[in-house]
Amino acid sequence: MENTNWILQFFGRLHPLLVHFPIGLLVVALVFELLTLGGKRKGLREGINWMVYIGAGFAVFSALFGWLLKTQDEYSGDLVDNHQYTGIATAILAVITAVILRKSLKKSILNLKAYRFMLVATVILLSIAGHLGANLTHGEDYLTEILPGNKESYSTLESSALLTELKGASELSELQKDKLNLEVRGLFAHKCYQCHSENKQKGGLVLEHKEGVFKGGTSGLAVVPRQPEESEIYKRIILPANDKKVMPTKGKLLTPDEIALIKLWIEDGAHWSDKAVKVFPEAPLALTQPELPTVTEETHPVDKIVSVYFKDKKVDWNAVVDDRKFIKRAYMDVVGLLPKPTAVNAFIASTNPKKRELLIDELLNDSENYTQNWLSFWNDLLRNDYSGTGFITRGRFQITTWLYKTLKQNKSYDQMVSQLMNPSKASEGFIKGIQWRGVVNSSQRTEMQAAQNIGQSLMGVNVKCASCHNSFISNLTLDQAYGFASIFAEKPLELNRCDKPIGKIAKVNFLYPELGSVEGETLKERLLKLSEVMTSKENGRLYRTITNRIWERLIGRGIIEPVDEMDNTPWNAELLDWLASDFIDSGTNLKHLIKRIMTSKAYQLPTVSYKTAEAIKQDYVFKGPVLRRLSAEQFSDAISQVIAPVYVAVAYNPNEEKMPAQRIWHHQKDLTNTVLPLPGKRYFRKTFQLKKENIQDASILISVDDAYKLFINGKPVGTGDNWTNVGKYNVANLLNKGTNCIAVEGDNKGKIGNPASILFAMKVAFKDDTVFNLYSDETWLSTDVAPKANWADLNFEAKKWKQVKNYGTNNWAKLLDFTFKDHQKTFARASLVKQHPFLKALGRPNREIVTTTREEQATLLQALELTNGGFFNGILKQGAKKWLNTYGNDSRLIVDTLYQELLGRAPSKEEQNIVMASLGEQPSTAQVQDVFWSVLMSPEFQFIN
Amino acid sequence: MTYKNNKSNSRREFIKKMSAASIAASATTLPLASFLSSCSPEVQKRAATADSVILLWMAGGMAHTETFDPKAYAPFEKGLETNRVLSTFPKHPTVVDGLEFSEGLQSIGGVMDKGAIIRSYKAADLGFILHTRHQFHWHTCYEPPQSVQAPHIGAWIAKELGPANPVIPPFISIGQRFTMGEAEELKAFHTAGFLGSEYGPFLIPDPSEGLDSVRPPEGMSLKRFEARYKLYKALANKSEVMEQASDYQRESLMRSMEQSYRLLNSPEAKVFDLSQEPKDVYDTYNTGRFGLGCLLAKRLAQNGGRFISVSTEYEPFLGWDTHANGHTRAKQMKALIDRPVAQLIKDLDESGHLDRTLVILASEFSRDAIMEGRPGEEVRDQARRQPDKIEHIRHYGMHRHFTDGGSILMWGGGVKKGLVYGKTADERPCVSIENKVVIDQVHQSIYNALGIHPQTHYEIEGRPFYTTPDGKGKPILDLFGKPMKALENNIS
Repeated sequence: MENTNWILQFFGRLHPLLVHFPIGLLVVALVFELLTLGGKRKGLREGINWMVYIGAGFAVFSALFGWLLKTQDEYSGDLVDNHQYTGIATAILAVITAVILRKSLKKSILNLKAYRFMLVATVILLSIAGHLGANLTHGEDYLTEILPGNKESYSTLESSALLTELKGASELSELQKDKLNLEVRGLFAHKCYQCHSENKQKGGLVLEHKEGVFKGGTSGLAVVPRQPEESEIYKRIILPANDKKVMPTKGKLLTPDEIALIKLWIEDGAHWSDKAVKVFPEAPLALTQPELPTVTEETHPVDKIVSVYFKDKKVDWNAVVDDRKFIKRAYMDVVGLLPKPTAVNAFIASTNPKKRELLIDELLNDSENYTQNWLSFWNDLLRNDYSGTGFITRGRFQITTWLYKTLKQNKSYDQMVSQLMNPSKASEGFIKGIQWRGVVNSSQRTEMQAAQNIGQSLMGVNVKCASCHNSFISNLTLDQAYGFASIFAEKPLELNRCDKPIGKIAKVNFLYPELGSVEGETLKERLLKLSEVMTSKENGRLYRTITNRIWERLIGRGIIEPVDEMDNTPWNAELLDWLASDFIDSGTNLKHLIKRIMTSKAYQLPTVSYKTAEAIKQDYVFKGPVLRRLSAEQFSDAISQVIAPVYVAVAYNPNEEKMPAQRIWHHQKDLTNTVLPLPGKRYFRKTFQLKKENIQDASILISVDDAYKLFINGKPVGTGDNWTNVGKYNVANLLNKGTNCIAVEGDNKGKIGNPASILFAMKVAFKDDTVFNLYSDETWLSTDVAPKANWADLNFEAKKWKQVKNYGTNNWAKLLDFTFKDHQKTFARASLVKQHPFLKALGRPNREIVTTTREEQATLLQALELTNGGFFNGILKQGAKKWLNTYGNDSRLIVDTLYQELLGRAPSKEEQNIVMASLGEQPSTAQVQDVFWSVLMSPEFQFIN
Repeated sequence: MTYKNNKSNSRREFIKKMSAASIAASATTLPLASFLSSCSPEVQKRAATADSVILLWMAGGMAHTETFDPKAYAPFEKGLETNRVLSTFPKHPTVVDGLEFSEGLQSIGGVMDKGAIIRSYKAADLGFILHTRHQFHWHTCYEPPQSVQAPHIGAWIAKELGPANPVIPPFISIGQRFTMGEAEELKAFHTAGFLGSEYGPFLIPDPSEGLDSVRPPEGMSLKRFEARYKLYKALANKSEVMEQASDYQRESLMRSMEQSYRLLNSPEAKVFDLSQEPKDVYDTYNTGRFGLGCLLAKRLAQNGGRFISVSTEYEPFLGWDTHANGHTRAKQMKALIDRPVAQLIKDLDESGHLDRTLVILASEFSRDAIMEGRPGEEVRDQARRQPDKIEHIRHYGMHRHFTDGGSILMWGGGVKKGLVYGKTADERPCVSIENKVVIDQVHQSIYNALGIHPQTHYEIEGRPFYTTPDGKGKPILDLFGKPMKALENNIS
């Protein structure tokens, strides 16, 4: 085997050599054949015949050897397959052509035509096969890369123009010298950086900065001012293409103009400009408010600008959406809730011409719901979450309380940014990053995380690349990234390239030094300066970035995309700049910005459909909002509103009544270690003293995972089997002066070990206005051995019972209902809930890193969660029971109400019939549940149209 | 359909079924997360020697000297010097000449003629040794934290190869719960990261309840399930919004619902049902949740699972994470894994699936009685004080984290049979001394077996993100025999 293999392999490798024969022979044969058309040049006939025969023969060999090459050298992939198929087809066609040709020689005019046709077909196919083959060896973009308009190819026009200009001058002005130098450095960037940069110092040469250029590399001085012939760069770029030492070795050689430009620069003394070369396009920092176009038909500033844009793009204004659609949009966008049917009808009925604006105001003024909707946007953007990596080792801090307050009070964006940059304890979590224990990659040290996150979230610039090496996608350098990160460091940082220290200490600097110095003796001083620089009005970038994000949230597509890359070109720069300036003029009032956009006709246009996700990204023309899917939180809250509460407990409760009650359970051990509680019953006791008699009131709150029976002094008080239902009992008449005893039989369900706990609070108010409190804590006793019948009695002796364990709060959120106060909350907003599998499946991100755009597209795992997830279906079932209680067996009423509440409209006759047929006369819980599901899964519900 | 040792399923039929399944899968696959652009050089499919992977995860740090790389046995006695303790179990021969395993692993020793052992794994030096950090590193090949979310190896495989059977999710994770300490750190790598949640793990914490995740919701008959779907379709088609049904978002929503419906309605969901197994087979596997996880993995591999991980489960100070009572606990753990792992290999071999299924047994790092970390890089001690002389059985064992040596077992999927690769020192510190293996090589070896190009990467936020950092990892070609040139190379 081994022996034959190399021979086959050898033959296979002859394929590239062999293929040139059929290419040459058959193409020339065709050319000659064309020359004979009309009976001319008969002398060529014999030659053509032989060319076709030999060409066909070689085509067969080529195909055969090509096949050998593929199988012996393990080539694979679509390109190879396509080359193979076209190659084989070419060979077959060539043979057929040759056969027909032979026949046509026997005087058949029909055959001659057929032969000529076949020859043309063969050559076309041959060209395709040849092209595919060339792509295999040279890369797929071999041909297209040099086409005009390709981003990678560097414009030589500028070089030529500059050269003409400079050659005409007898002596170069300072300005011209700068221009020349920057042009040359631009050339270096495009033609040489690939190998001669800090990142990849081939031959020890770095052309990125002055020191590198004049230091040269291992082959000698790269640039000797005034002496091009002594300069290694010049010597190498003028070498012929086949010289081993020619530069660049990769890609195309420099054009004569480019070479002349470099030569001119060296001859002129190799002046070095102080200005930075901007290799990549960079958006200007400054922001000035553009004049509004004089469009009289439109009153709203946004619409004036859009009008001009539409005219330019030949787009017509559509009619704005009707009130029904508008109110759903407005509710979802401002408060993240569904409008109640009564609100929808009242809104439609209203004849106030300003009703849309009034509605927006009204919703924006609902500060609690506005906050609980927009909180998710800010949590994503500022990487803030209630759980996640780092918390366990105190390597991460929440900013929730601060953020909630900031939004609720609608603090200005400037103030928000200042407090994030120069934080108090409450807002420091953002720049503190996530600290993992142990050694982390230097590009992920917390100071660098701060630089990256501020860059991405607030400034729309990618610092991540530059934190490891000079960026390949922007003008940012490693120096800049470390300079930025050093602001947050106690001591100056040493630069690391690709995680290796390079013996250079960073100089504290802001990403855009032109905005001002951020240097300072102390960390506090630097942070203060940073907060000032960030919010200085010269930093237009800060305001453009947030304006673009809010636009994207409301319209579904940014004015610039991706929203984190603010150096990209906006589809309308005027619009972005006007809105951002207007935002500044409002005192950086976020609600003002939201209102400004929502009151425009542009926002109120009908949604535009797209065939693919790419169509929204590329060659985008604004025609109206993009269809948006309900977010995980909006979906969940809508179900809570209409069907049944999805969540009743939160991670953060802004109105929490603080109590020291702990989640306790029997201490489950394996050898010496604590393990998850095993399934089964456990028994708990707590005795306590009441020193007074005159009890005014005594109430108990209890929540047990999974089930409980509660006793006081041996008397049963109540039971429960769902930890999310808080048991509330008035027990004044069960308590006595002196010793009392609380006893709980707890049951942990399930088949394997799983979290279990009791949360208990009791408040005893005496007539003299004093209060006695008792909470579940580690002083309670428990046993896992079924005790005697009288175990709950006051006088039972709990011998051998052990101290319970505090199982923490990790597995149980804070129940809104676990309070002695009266409250109106029927469900918890999903934005306040700890990450949960249901929300995760619906696209809420794990906030381990900044997430500015969520995955909106439906996925299979998500569909599975919705189709068979126990959690979700349990809620629907609970809701169905509730609805049957409320609406009785009235199928008609159920259908109508459901459509009104979920979709904001009455069902059509047809819809009514379908649903009523499914519900029947006497709808069961299951039937109602399935109707819920069917409407909730409909695109009409799941999208904001 | 019965799943008893699938002998009746001849190889050819199996292949036919698989191919049909993958064609069906590719026809229904949802559009990719749109912000990604594949930069893999023309998505090359290499000649694969495996179609699926089972990862048997020894969570918590399995000491190589107590398991697959035993050293001198120091029996327990009061006053025993800790420094003398290299292994707390005697050695036993295996079916492979010269290869010895620690006591309690004789069953696995009996199937080593079907697989290979790497005895020279070196875990990364990540400073402070935190299990979940090393597990993150093992499963993603990247050290946490990262500026973009690194995908789990299972997600990479799911993304590159898709499901082998359209009704079985391509990345299934069995046995790990996320409830106690470090749960968030575990979640951080049980993810498809930037590849998109489509490729994320399908979690089955309790294998005996696996079926629940792939059939209609509890208490819903198949008839009702079908009626519900019909009602949904009827209403969705009547809805006003559906008039402009050309939008890709609406279409992908409808398609995902249909796919989910087909999956949950599929008779193949029975693959997840362990009660379909004969009692004796069930009992052989049933050493606990891990054993049943192996049984489920077997059924999945035989029916078109792609990447399946079965974990002994990580909970701090439990499982292999022995910080006290090391000897006693190691004995328990060996009893947990020995029988089911060996049986899994035998069953897959017998049904003809082992050839195309790569089974790997590994752990995030090893343990030692004395050394925390590695020679020269000792790190802060996390164990309770270990006395110099052992007076009590609870001090007898490997209670510290050791990163400089470790064993990985591999079977099937083109892996050489009976191979012993690498070596550790016979004296403390028992470091890898020959053919040292790091995680990048392990990943690339797995990708190599599956025919996934070593340079596979995607551009995310302007950064090319490779399966192994910078695309530099190299497969250990010595692990593989000559690549099989058979028809099934075309399956993917």
